[in-house]
Amino acid sequence: MTTPPETRDLAHRLLAYEAGEGKTSELVESATLRVYDKLRQSLSAFAGMAAFESLALRALMQAKSEAPGLWAVQVAEDGSLQGLGEFESQIGIDEDLAGEGGLVLIARLLGLLRIFLGEALTFSLLRSAWPREVFDDRNLAHGRKA
Amino acid sequence: MSIQDKVKINKLSTGVPGLDEIVGGGLPEFSFNIIAGAPGSGKTTLAHQFVFANATPERPALYFTVLGESAIKMLRYQQQYSFFDAAKLPDSIRFINLSQVVLEKDLGAVLVEITREVEKANPAVVVVDSFRTMVRKPQSDMDLQSFIQRLALFLASWQATTFLIGEYAEDELRDNPIFTVADGLFWLRQTAERNSIVRKLQVIKLRGQDSVPGLHTFRITDAGVQAFSRTFGLTARKRNPPSNRRLCFGIPELDKMLDGGVREGDSVLIAGSSGTGKSVLATQFIAEGIQHGEPGIVAVFEERPEAYAERATSLGLDLETPQKDGKLTILYLRPLDLSVDETMQSILDAVQKIGAKRLVIDSLAGFEMALSPGFRADFRESLYRMIFALTGIGVTILSTVEVDESFTEFPFSTYSISFLTDDIIRLRYVSIEGQLRKIMVVIKMRGGNHAKDIREYEITDKGVVILGKRLINYQGLISGIPVYRDRSEP
Repeated sequence: MTTPPETRDLAHRLLAYEAGEGKTSELVESATLRVYDKLRQSLSAFAGMAAFESLALRALMQAKSEAPGLWAVQVAEDGSLQGLGEFESQIGIDEDLAGEGGLVLIARLLGLLRIFLGEALTFSLLRSAWPREVFDDRNLAHGRKA
Repeated sequence: MSIQDKVKINKLSTGVPGLDEIVGGGLPEFSFNIIAGAPGSGKTTLAHQFVFANATPERPALYFTVLGESAIKMLRYQQQYSFFDAAKLPDSIRFINLSQVVLEKDLGAVLVEITREVEKANPAVVVVDSFRTMVRKPQSDMDLQSFIQRLALFLASWQATTFLIGEYAEDELRDNPIFTVADGLFWLRQTAERNSIVRKLQVIKLRGQDSVPGLHTFRITDAGVQAFSRTFGLTARKRNPPSNRRLCFGIPELDKMLDGGVREGDSVLIAGSSGTGKSVLATQFIAEGIQHGEPGIVAVFEERPEAYAERATSLGLDLETPQKDGKLTILYLRPLDLSVDETMQSILDAVQKIGAKRLVIDSLAGFEMALSPGFRADFRESLYRMIFALTGIGVTILSTVEVDESFTEFPFSTYSISFLTDDIIRLRYVSIEGQLRKIMVVIKMRGGNHAKDIREYEITDKGVVILGKRLINYQGLISGIPVYRDRSEP
């Protein structure tokens, strides 16, 4: 099962936003981690850490089948992501590929949120995590953003 | 103390149709309430409805979830209800998970966490779901009593209306300190009655409010919980004074027998065996009312409204046009698992919508069959409440009832409900001159001087037509096998 393009677009947008927020010298990994951590904080606040951890584990398992380079990445007991640095430091992996792994993982996580919470609540969650970013859930519900 | 010196307790809408009436007009603001019941009884849904009805961005609702149902799954299911407005999250409604604190720490830490969030958000509503799971584990530094009292005091001081949700068994009512501290205690029950599920709600206690006692039926639909008050939402309404106005059937001879018609606000029973024309009389009663500008409701249980209207057409009575004009509603009440209170609510809604003056229930046997088995045992008591409530607001009720034809008895109803009716008209078959003919007699008419005559009638394409004069040449007509005695003048 692949991630719908609009979910990938949304993941890409969140990563780009966080990359823009960070210093230019920071690695893509940082953007992935920042997006992941914001989702973790936001979701675990209302659903509990255990609930977030379960969803994160499922998302990671799905992402690994799509981006095998994520093999070393793990979800810790507190729901945090570990091992993404190793993925980055692998010899021969360029920034694009690293970015692709992070994108796949975030897209999978967002996909699960959509499945369990629906469009409206997913966007409600995103709005609370990124209060300065404007989200239009209609684009996600009815197709790709123009 | 004068009335103006008393503290005014604001009442908040519960967001649950029918429940405001049951709790005496709304839930007291800043009250500390428990919603108790077995799993699946609708506790969370009820709390959600209250939250969605009252939360605003300025005074949000904090919904603390603890162990038990996962918040993700809870939201997944709850958003299927029509009251769930996702736009209210997170500004007006905030879900906060306390599982970690409950698992790793003690009640003191839980209180600290709740206090922190409440001070931050200044909520109007606080829900803890499920409170039972929170206090289930052995306590250490703070006993349960102290925790509950401090929590209740803190939340009231912060001007929050609170709901604690818990899976409690009824035998816990006596010893659990939480029930002592609570201002309001709502108990939800669901029981299986043969193949039907019957849900009932009881307000066991509600401080400062004149709530309606007893068990109230409720239903959970796509719209959430809907409660049906035992008093049918009519407690606040004054009973209409008795009226001397007469309502006619439009059958001149019958109206004469009734001393000009049935009294407005009466409950009329038409009893007879199958085929004696009970429904025909009922239809004529409704049609006559519509002709005189009195809107009507017909509650049918045994046939579809289209069939009912079609049958009226065969009698020359037009029930289609008044339906289109909003003067008549034919209610087909879904059979098999209704409660009387739900039926009543449907009828009341229809009565209020069109301002109905006449109501036909055709028939009581059909009504009883439409109820879930658990309610059939209370049928008589329920009928009493229904008739009392409706006639009290000036609606004239005509019910039909089928009785077994006996040639040794003359029963009025198989339900022993004649005491509930003001007027009884009895129809029956008699054997006369080798024919099975029909006779009619007014048995009882409260506050009226009705005719004592036994009259023969026929059902024609114009409806019920009363024939000739009273049958003076027959004795023992009500036995069904009269004896001919010529009393005519020589």
